[in-house]
Amino acid sequence: MKFSIIINGAPWSSPAAFSALKFAEAVVDGGHEIYRLFFFQDGVHNGSAFAVAPQDEVDIPKRWHALISEHDLDAVVCAASALKHGLLDAGEAARYDRTGHNLLPGFDISGLGQLVDALNQADRVVTFVT
Amino acid sequence: MSDTRSLLILSSSAPYASQSARAALDVALTAAAFEQVVRMVFIDAGVLQLQPGQDNRKDGPKSVGKMIPALALYEVQEVFFHEDSARRFSIDVSAMPDSVTGINDAALSELVQKADQVMVF
Repeated sequence: MKFSIIINGAPWSSPAAFSALKFAEAVVDGGHEIYRLFFFQDGVHNGSAFAVAPQDEVDIPKRWHALISEHDLDAVVCAASALKHGLLDAGEAARYDRTGHNLLPGFDISGLGQLVDALNQADRVVTFVT
Repeated sequence: MSDTRSLLILSSSAPYASQSARAALDVALTAAAFEQVVRMVFIDAGVLQLQPGQDNRKDGPKSVGKMIPALALYEVQEVFFHEDSARRFSIDVSAMPDSVTGINDAALSELVQKADQVMVF
């Protein structure tokens, strides 16, 4: 089955992000397909390379990165949400004259059209909200 | 994205308590721009978005209420409010935009049934 997963919660602020991560891992482990991960609203913080987890806690962004690169998943952070929350790739940092960029490799900044496409193409859409 | 599917958006958040009300409107407008059939229901605290006379100061957030009458212009053709929620939150139904129609639980249930996807904000 083909899933799209929408993640609306930041790591550690609520159980949404970690639940979504565990669900995504289970989808892949179960032999199903992930059409797209869409990180929306506060969920864009899951793509931060600057977040540092305490040593005895799960590093949620790092685990997303591992899952995405291992399975070559399509992972999109909503552009409007990302910019507002200070999640920038090199291109956006240059465009808006910011001094650094912090989007993990494997994540792409794109628009809500990608969310609509994800809704259309998946057999099931699962949303994790706070 | 050629295939047309129907999306039901349940907007259940108060207008300025979080970004959710705004996000619901953004998704509705985007989906409509991509020629999806979009229906929207204001429910629970989401009916507060329909409260008339939202006074947004110049330095405050953009008015959510002002965007709602414009939905039809952007091809979000069917916009509803949940009647029980409106009663609970004492919304003046007579002052609502004409383009927003009241529905009861049974009608809401039908909308959910016929939607390909449902998103809750």
